[in-house]
Amino acid sequence: MSFLSPGFFLFFPLVTLFYFLLPQRARNLWLLVSSWYFYLCAGAGSFLFLLCALTLTYAGARFLEGQSGRARRRVLTLLLLLLFGTLFLFKYLGFALSMLERLLSAAGLSFTSPALELILPAGISFYLFMAAGYLIDVYRGNRPAERSFLLFALFLSFFPYLLSGPIGRADTLLPQFREPHRFSYDGFRSGLLRFLWGAFKKLVIADRLGMLVTTVYAAPDQFGRLQVIAAAAAFSIQIYCDFSAYSDMALGCAQVLGFRLMENFRTPYFSRSIGEFWRRWHISLSSWFRDYLYIPLGGSRRGRMRTYANLLIVFAVSGLWHGSALAFVAWGLLNGLYQVIGGLTADLRTRVRGRLGLTEDGRLTVLLQVGITFLLSTVAWVFFKGGSFTHALFIFQNMFTGPWLTHPVTAWGLDRPELVVAFFTILLLLAVDLASLRVDLWTGFLRLPRPLRWALALSLTLAVLICGIYGTGYDPQDFIYFKF
Amino acid sequence: MNRKAVVREFCFAVLFLLLAVLLIGLTSTALRPVRTNYGAVWGPYLGEPEDSLDYLWLGSSYAYCDVNPAVIYDETGLTGYVLAGPEQTLSQTYWYLRQALETQRPSAVVLEASALHFAKYQNYTQVNVGYLPAGLNKLGAVFTASEPELRTGLLFDLYFYHSRWKTATFGELRSALAPPLADQCKGYTAVDGVFDAIGDGPFLRDVQEEAVYRANLEDLGRIASLCADRGIPLAVVFHPTYSQLPSQVREAIRADVADLDAHIRFFDWSEEVEAAGLEPSLHFYDPGHLNRAGAALFSAWLGDFLTGEMGLVPRPQTGENAAAWAETVRFWQEGGPAVTE
Repeated sequence: MSFLSPGFFLFFPLVTLFYFLLPQRARNLWLLVSSWYFYLCAGAGSFLFLLCALTLTYAGARFLEGQSGRARRRVLTLLLLLLFGTLFLFKYLGFALSMLERLLSAAGLSFTSPALELILPAGISFYLFMAAGYLIDVYRGNRPAERSFLLFALFLSFFPYLLSGPIGRADTLLPQFREPHRFSYDGFRSGLLRFLWGAFKKLVIADRLGMLVTTVYAAPDQFGRLQVIAAAAAFSIQIYCDFSAYSDMALGCAQVLGFRLMENFRTPYFSRSIGEFWRRWHISLSSWFRDYLYIPLGGSRRGRMRTYANLLIVFAVSGLWHGSALAFVAWGLLNGLYQVIGGLTADLRTRVRGRLGLTEDGRLTVLLQVGITFLLSTVAWVFFKGGSFTHALFIFQNMFTGPWLTHPVTAWGLDRPELVVAFFTILLLLAVDLASLRVDLWTGFLRLPRPLRWALALSLTLAVLICGIYGTGYDPQDFIYFKF
Repeated sequence: MNRKAVVREFCFAVLFLLLAVLLIGLTSTALRPVRTNYGAVWGPYLGEPEDSLDYLWLGSSYAYCDVNPAVIYDETGLTGYVLAGPEQTLSQTYWYLRQALETQRPSAVVLEASALHFAKYQNYTQVNVGYLPAGLNKLGAVFTASEPELRTGLLFDLYFYHSRWKTATFGELRSALAPPLADQCKGYTAVDGVFDAIGDGPFLRDVQEEAVYRANLEDLGRIASLCADRGIPLAVVFHPTYSQLPSQVREAIRADVADLDAHIRFFDWSEEVEAAGLEPSLHFYDPGHLNRAGAALFSAWLGDFLTGEMGLVPRPQTGENAAAWAETVRFWQEGGPAVTE
């Protein structure tokens, strides 16, 4: 069930209503039943897999806690192998076999990879990472294994983050399931507004830009280079609006119910470097990789070269996490490489800035750095969206060859009125993101005078309903991160 | 928050919700195209003065293309309305009738019954059900007479029509929001042109399988019960047509309708083209529908049927409404609306 499906608009109010009407001791059970129903809509197979994963993790953690020394390590290894092995089976086996086929063909050997028909369980990459993080925390002694199966099942299956994150941590989420949650009118209103803002970003901006990007990327040689470049920039905005919209809706839903989830985005396109970008983009995944992969690999404690190697490993794995294709690995590696080059040229860049008279935190310096970071991430996103490595290269080729524009300019997935809407809504997004640097938007909203608050909420609602890309004749777009 | 503040916030929340619903309703109405012909014309129907119609003519396009109430009024003084929709199924017609009877108490209901051999769902549910006035009847039609995949849009007009913000003109938006006014078509749609290959006819229409037909017959039974409950005579008719159901099928329908309710009057004019004064090479737009001239002739003939066979007598009208009908007659005598091909 998607947050934007008609079913969810019936599901969520009912869940919320009964959650607050039920006695405290029944509420977690209600949330679990609701979350499982929510997930069952993705298919019974997916649900059974979730049940297996959470039973294994729950029992495994209890067993792991009782072990010590090498046995403890062996148990953890076995559990992680089971979790990630299953992820590999569902998500990467086909890719691995096709790579093997290509390698063997290159070596002159004949091998045809079998056509696998495994259906990737929805949200598997998200909840398996949560499960793995929890097991590692128990192994490290950072937290005890959870005794209550109900709470543990809820921790792994809570519907706001089950399908696309944020990838939560046991130390912040499990205690919340133990706390009593009283209805908070402010939390309710802020949560709903945040959900609405997410719907606006997804339906009005992301899916609108998506039509342009899909059209141009499908046949970049049919468009002028400025149009291909614009489509690349549009995808940067599309994926930000798409994924941060999901996070906003997840956080908004959780907030209505009285839960606080990890912030997943902090205006990443205002970052001054790719390193900073990754500290502000998909924060729950970046911090997961930091805590459970980068630091165990040695982090930055073992010299410069090892640090760079660790960075490249982490970003290659992060690329693979997003999808089983070489293009995703290239996207991840490129992001890692940016940071390696950034580290290697840090002194040089400081000197150049000095020569140019640019102060370290001067407005022009910041603007240049933000612009360059956006440009670099846009280049990387081409691999991400391109679908394949060769198609991504084809897109780049069309940024530098052919006419500047093809006519009519509006024949690229968005007609003139749509482009006008896209332009103004992006301006609005920019304004809101800028404002969010100074104030907490969601509590700030509640402090506005009532007429202004109402006008804003109603305008946003009507904008979503009128200008949103949805409804008949339209093939509803899933959230991009659903695929992962 | 103290109790007083809670009550105050609750009231504001309700007010906000009402405002949101009102705005969404207005926006939905504004963006939905105004419907003035080809059936499902509920706006002008609701503009008719209450209890002013002598008869209602229900059915599908065979009804709204063949019956011109203005001609019938001119012939007989009977006021009536064609409340039909394109490829309208009988399950949809049932809800149409329920809704129609909320503002009118006609002396007779006539149902053009080709829909007895329509599929469970035809092609125009979005129009037929979507344009029903909001209320319980619409809900009934959405959940019992509409494809499940269309229900979201039928319950929430913006789902179908929100992207019209790009094309709708200010005038269209304004007329969509204007209160309903009676028009001069009275549910009739004039089509112009002749069917050149009519000489190859009559043509036979496809017959549905038995289960579908039986389900349609059940819907006819619901329509008949509704009419009986309200004390309104019901006539089931087949218009003169060159797109005919096989004669044995029509005979079976006659028998089934009689079994359903002995009070339903059944008239099969399928083969009475000449008797109705129609010349096939001049008066058929296509094998199933009469053109403007054909509809005028057939409607005059229907006037005799309504006053004679059905025994209808014009009810008293207000001076204002009588003048409006006289104006309608004049409108059609002067040619009616622009040519529709």
